[in-house]
Amino acid sequence: MPVYTFRIQRNQKNAQGTLESRYQEYTLELNETTTVLNALEELKGNQDGTLTFRQSCRSAICGSCAMKISGRTRLACKTHVGSVARDGVIELAPMANQPVLKDLVIDIGPFFRKVHQIKPYLEEGPEKATTVERSSYDQVNHVTQCIMCGCCYSDCTMKEVSEEFIGPAALAKAFRFVSDPREGQKTARLQELSEPGMMWSCTRCAMCIDSCPKDVKPMEAIVKLRTRGMQKGFVDGPGPRHALAFHQDIQKWGDLNEFTLLQRTVGILGSIAELGTALHLLKKGKIPSPFPHQAQGVEQLQKIYKLLEQNPIDVETKAKEVVPE
Amino acid sequence: MSLEFAYYPGCAAKQVQKEADWAARAVARELGITLHAMPQATCCGAVSLRESKPAFSLAVAARILSEAEAQGRHLATICNTCLQTLSHANYRFKNEPELLEKINSVIVQAGVRAYKASINVYHLLWVITDQVDPALLRQKIKKPLNGMRVAPFYGCHNLRPAEILVAKGGESADHLDRLIQLLGGAPVAYNGHDKCCGFHVMLSDATEMRTMVAKNCLSAKDAGAEVMISPCTLCDMAMGAYQKPAENAVGKEINLPEMNFAQLLGLAMGINPDTLGISRLHVDPSAALVARKVL
Ligand code: SF4
Ligand code: SF4
Ligand code: FES
Repeated sequence: MPVYTFRIQRNQKNAQGTLESRYQEYTLELNETTTVLNALEELKGNQDGTLTFRQSCRSAICGSCAMKISGRTRLACKTHVGSVARDGVIELAPMANQPVLKDLVIDIGPFFRKVHQIKPYLEEGPEKATTVERSSYDQVNHVTQCIMCGCCYSDCTMKEVSEEFIGPAALAKAFRFVSDPREGQKTARLQELSEPGMMWSCTRCAMCIDSCPKDVKPMEAIVKLRTRGMQKGFVDGPGPRHALAFHQDIQKWGDLNEFTLLQRTVGILGSIAELGTALHLLKKGKIPSPFPHQAQGVEQLQKIYKLLEQNPIDVETKAKEVVPE
Repeated sequence: MSLEFAYYPGCAAKQVQKEADWAARAVARELGITLHAMPQATCCGAVSLRESKPAFSLAVAARILSEAEAQGRHLATICNTCLQTLSHANYRFKNEPELLEKINSVIVQAGVRAYKASINVYHLLWVITDQVDPALLRQKIKKPLNGMRVAPFYGCHNLRPAEILVAKGGESADHLDRLIQLLGGAPVAYNGHDKCCGFHVMLSDATEMRTMVAKNCLSAKDAGAEVMISPCTLCDMAMGAYQKPAENAVGKEINLPEMNFAQLLGLAMGINPDTLGISRLHVDPSAALVARKVL
């Protein structure tokens, strides 16, 4: 059996209450398909009883064993040591973007407070549907398999630089309610989600899609939320204005006009703020031309656009129906 | 083997980041890759159009893909966001025949040829690392990097979502590292290599975007990088043009020359720096290049 080295981040609060961090190495002979969680238990049981981590279900259901494993956040109980070892070394650290309590254990409280911010329950209100079709759940079902493990939150590139950002899991949860036919406050929810730090602060980096152990695809939910928000008229803010500028430009010129795009996105005030940077670009002869070249046959796009406005077609991805086995 | 592609440089390479386009054309010529113009191609709409007008964005993509298909060629781009946008649409067209039919029924009414979903979407970088004969590439290297420590900055949309891309994506992607090795450089392993450049929130979350740029660059510098390269015109803009504003935002000096992968490849091939637009870079790479005898 191969020998693996575990490089584990040990974290402990000192007498003053500040966290002290160091790496400690352990070696274990293991089968490639042993899970990281089993390896940790082996270490705790036979080598170092002080090693602290969380676990419960051991079957990728409860979400409590999420931790950084070789650079990415994964469930320790779902990850085989052979798939994450780099030259025989597996590095373990606590999840990022959350306060560390000890070793591999974080305080999940702030994560859940973000989730609670979106009111994760159905609300009464005027938009509640009275009849519910079988197909009504083809959007809801995308996100209901979320186990609130926090992997996406830990790997989110916007979370890394923003305390305020609500994070992928909460937004995926929000989509679950916005798309639920029984929800009575869809529009009010979309209005709240259009505030700063909410759905428009996502960079669209897709890290949460790759990190999620349950294939929830939070970013896809965020894209759909944005579409619904704009449809409800919540278009005030750089995010939606930028998104809307795109289809105007494409129809007119065929190409994106970076000059007017900037102006329409941030408005006059924003443009002035951006001017410092613009001047910086100007030094390199980089101010885009206000007259981008026009592609051939752009009138085709104008026609397509009109056709789709007259006869809208539904192109949303639908979740597969969940049939009990 | 003839390598012929319908070439889709993207809006940034036609306007602000022209140098990436110049460099791409120059290296392609040397490597026997023919990049055919797509005169009807429009902007792909990026991530924004998918949000504001989901059906229209698929129609725009189908029209672009159809033009390449009519040429009988796969499509190659040099912008990660174009890559992801077109790959996403193409992935759906290939896997959802009913969706393709719906979109085709609209575009044909406007005189656009129906798309048959028979082509692939590539990044020019993947073509160079996976389809060009490595022996040919090595033979073209006139100015090897002599062990220069180069930070590969992949950019989100070159990697994720892995399932929609035709090349190895996600954590298993290594094409930029392999390219650096082929050029005689040493790829730097650093935290930021698969992180976000922040371009898409440049205007909505300005401070956060600058912090991202700074963190990525500083983690590369701390790992010993002399130069950073990216395969994306938008990452180039963020990590290069916005490096100064990022320095100001975090109050730390960075000074890490960043350039497009095709520019460094071109330099290693001995192509004239002016042809590659090296003087248009925001952080001057001359000293780093001279130190390794690339210039
Ligand atoms: S796509 Fe958005 S929510 Fe998901 S990880 Fe990236 S920034 Fe975070
Ligand atoms: S979306 Fe996925 S990664 Fe995020 S909390 Fe839910 S299950 Fe975990
Ligand atoms: S222990 Fe429950 S998800 Fe791993």
